[in-house]
Amino acid sequence: MNNAYLDGLASIAPEIVLTVTALGALVLDLVAKGRDSVRVGYLTLAGLAATAWFLFGQWGEPSHTVYGMVAIDQFGNFFKLFSTAALAIVVLFVMHDRNERRHGVGEYYFLLVGALIGIFFMVSTSNLLLMVLGFELLSLSSYSLSGFHKGNRKSAEASMKYVIFGGLSTGIMVYGISLLYGLTGTIDLAKMAGSANLIAQVTSNPIPFGIATVLILAGFAYKISLAPFHFWTPDVYEGAPTPVTAFLAVASKAAGFGALLRFLGALFLDAEGTPLGGYGSRVGTMLALLAAVTMTLGNLAALRQPSLKRMLAYSSIAHAGYVMIGIACMTRGGFTAAMYYLAAYYFMNLGAFGFLVYFEGVTGSDTVDSLKGMGFKAPLISMVMVAFLVSLTGLPPTVGFYGKYLLFVEGVDNGLMWLVVVAALNSVVSLFYYLRVARALFLSKASDREAAPAPVLTGFVAVLGVATVAFGLYVTPLQDWATKSLDLIRSATGS
Amino acid sequence: MQSQILTWITFLPLLGMAVILFLPKTAMTAIKGVSVVATFIAMVLATKLYFVDFAHKSVAEIEASRGAGDILGAQFVQKIDWISSIGVQYYIGVDGLSVALVWLTTVLLFVGVIASFGMEKAGKAYYALLLLLQVGIGGVFVSLDLFLFYVFWEVMLLPMYFLIGIWGGPRREYAAIKFFLYTLAGSVLMLVAIVALRLDSGTFSIPALTELAVSGKLTGASLPAAGKLLGMQFSTWVFWFLFIGFAIKVPVFPFHTWLPDAHVEAPTPISVILAGILLKLGGYGMLRACFPLAPDAFHDSAFILGVLGVISIVYGAFVALGQSDFKKMVAYSSVSHMGYVLLGMAAFTVWGMEGAVLQMFNHGTSSAALFLIVGVIYDRAHHRDLNGFGGLSQLMPRYWALTTLGFFAALGLPGLAGFISEAMTLIGAFQANDTRFQVLVLLSTLGIVFTAAFLLYAMQRVFLGKKNPKYEGIEEISFRELFCQAPFLALCIVFGILPYLLLDWMHPSVQNLLNILKIQG
Repeated sequence: MNNAYLDGLASIAPEIVLTVTALGALVLDLVAKGRDSVRVGYLTLAGLAATAWFLFGQWGEPSHTVYGMVAIDQFGNFFKLFSTAALAIVVLFVMHDRNERRHGVGEYYFLLVGALIGIFFMVSTSNLLLMVLGFELLSLSSYSLSGFHKGNRKSAEASMKYVIFGGLSTGIMVYGISLLYGLTGTIDLAKMAGSANLIAQVTSNPIPFGIATVLILAGFAYKISLAPFHFWTPDVYEGAPTPVTAFLAVASKAAGFGALLRFLGALFLDAEGTPLGGYGSRVGTMLALLAAVTMTLGNLAALRQPSLKRMLAYSSIAHAGYVMIGIACMTRGGFTAAMYYLAAYYFMNLGAFGFLVYFEGVTGSDTVDSLKGMGFKAPLISMVMVAFLVSLTGLPPTVGFYGKYLLFVEGVDNGLMWLVVVAALNSVVSLFYYLRVARALFLSKASDREAAPAPVLTGFVAVLGVATVAFGLYVTPLQDWATKSLDLIRSATGS
Repeated sequence: MQSQILTWITFLPLLGMAVILFLPKTAMTAIKGVSVVATFIAMVLATKLYFVDFAHKSVAEIEASRGAGDILGAQFVQKIDWISSIGVQYYIGVDGLSVALVWLTTVLLFVGVIASFGMEKAGKAYYALLLLLQVGIGGVFVSLDLFLFYVFWEVMLLPMYFLIGIWGGPRREYAAIKFFLYTLAGSVLMLVAIVALRLDSGTFSIPALTELAVSGKLTGASLPAAGKLLGMQFSTWVFWFLFIGFAIKVPVFPFHTWLPDAHVEAPTPISVILAGILLKLGGYGMLRACFPLAPDAFHDSAFILGVLGVISIVYGAFVALGQSDFKKMVAYSSVSHMGYVLLGMAAFTVWGMEGAVLQMFNHGTSSAALFLIVGVIYDRAHHRDLNGFGGLSQLMPRYWALTTLGFFAALGLPGLAGFISEAMTLIGAFQANDTRFQVLVLLSTLGIVFTAAFLLYAMQRVFLGKKNPKYEGIEEISFRELFCQAPFLALCIVFGILPYLLLDWMHPSVQNLLNILKIQG
């Protein structure tokens, strides 16, 4: 018993390290009386490095669970590692954000790490209660983070909107979970999937189960901003400080997808022939419709945004729609494609936000117009940005193209040809607004404004750019990783 | 067995680009030098490949290799696994259809680089993008793997966008984005079709796909709902998706509207490359990756394609007649000339098909010459209004002589290259054993009349008539400009008199293609 307890603790070492880091950041900030925030940033980076080290330590280990609550598996690790890396980059953004105060921002790091802990639990549990807790931990940190610029009306508005929408959707989701609990008598997804009660229930009267599923999916749809639950996204992304927006758009959204994949995977995947499997294909159809609406709305709205930040917000909505192609397939292949696309999404979107952080520092504005002619003043970061834009559009030879290709393959293979055509046409629409950035950078007359160099930030963005192109040419490692991660998904069955 | 010559020809410009990126911005001589050297070596290699190394296989020899998964009789094949998880190969090679176009690509890009020396604004980025463009174009012509084909196809979009968008005329931003959006709209449809083909067949290899398609095994049977889309049969929609992708590039009416904008705004060297070789990608793509992959649908829709071809011929020429902008006129003439390509292919006869391939090549040389001619006058007068000149024949006699030659090549004067290929496509279409095609040929003769009309009318306005005093003392064509135009005009004459220099190379492949496609039809 005692040993099992210690084993359990060892298994969640990354989470413990993160908690210590968060508290350490807070204490260090208190001790320094908020005067030396940069040091807090370095501490956070060190904590994230340690976390990553522990995560790698769990690499080859056979997956196991901690008292049936937390599933330590490759699937969770996939999202944890990406989120940790994403947060490290976001922390670097914070440290190099010229619009950010140098001092008195220690809580920033504390909240960011807190959000990451939420993500860790979200993606590594099949226990719905713990999942909701992770969800909420992430949400609460995000609410405060998006309102971090206290004097700024937009920031305050963003935070307020986020709280109201978030609270409502969590409520809806928890209600759905309670229905599921009522139907099955368990809150563990793995037990639920095999529960005779549930299967009998679905066979005789599928309506309650249907309602529960729809309600829970609504909660997820909010987190990953699928239409029609996306209304908060542009405002929050615009109002929040840019590094926070990067975190929300990349890590937080991908984590939502991770939890969704686990939820759908536990209940519906490999359930062919059972009543639940039949239900899964219907859920798939519903998700396919949501995907089509989401990508179309996101892309059309992005067309007319003067603000680059808002444009990226809408583009992230559109990308959620693309990822949903893979999920709507309701097959292993589809899920793998979705995971690959999420990995691609980490690289290209973080890079695009890094570019935005840099130029906000230079021009003090986030509009596309303010970038006019800057391509000649800061050529390296601008060229790298073009690579991100190409990847976001889904053109070869980039990671975004290969991700989109995989999604298309799975879509066609699973009878979602119409959705693939919609997505393909959407790519054309998206090109138009992505190229607006390239056009402002390079096609306009060179600006008089000088761009002060930011070598560290530029360097990191360039690394992301190299990764975006390199993984588009040499795709095998990333694809293998995604496939293996999905294969090694483990349900916490309490053993 | 594995030959690396095509890899060198394709990727030498990339090497040049890498070198340029490491040169300082101010070292313009070095940058130009590297560009010239890279494109020149590629051209020499391609010339040797075409005239010396390329083996003239007979049709029987090509067909003998069919069983070995090599239905096209490709030469200089190189095959390396690239993305093994989805079976993508770096699979390149040339046959009689592509080898001439590979050669033309290298010639055009070499001339394109030299022609760019006159552009003062062209800096380091310009030459780097130009070389990247060559990689994309050359890559498409040698790819025998659909995935690779698509990657190269898309790689050339971005350089072209920037080349038009940064160094173009006043409406360059509009023209550049329009070019990009049109091409991408076509290519995403292509991508969907490629994905579906791959899922149905399990391969990306173009020869293997062709083999499956012509033996009637590429029907979408292994896809959900038998691969139907909106009630259309698998092969039908795959054909149209691929066709539209390529038709936009050709461009075929009604997908042609990006072309005049792009041409008018693009700087001269880019116009030359655009008309000379980029448009051929569309026609080549149809022959390589559209018709053979959906032969049934091709036969079913051949007449529609013929009609589109004739509309392009007549409409393009007619609109050209109404232009007052010299460059726009030439641009519309491209639409008209590329219409012959489609008509010839749709007719599905040896003459028609060979005429189409020949026409692609000949249009490449004659339109390149025409755009260079426009560039010469634009560099001096800084406008292109056909009505704003007059009597230039007295001021620039050498230039006038060259222009006359170019115009006559374009209007298909016997003895020059354009005549042979246009005549071949028309005769081929007339032989099609189909009254409807004979009507189409009759209609397309209207295009010939219009073409002669707009070229002679332009000639009259610019070169004949009263001398415009404004251009007294205008500089005669320079040696560099002459050097750029000479090869194209020379090729127009050479291939006008000795067309077999091209036909002998392509005939076996064209005949083979016809034989392949007939299996089903």
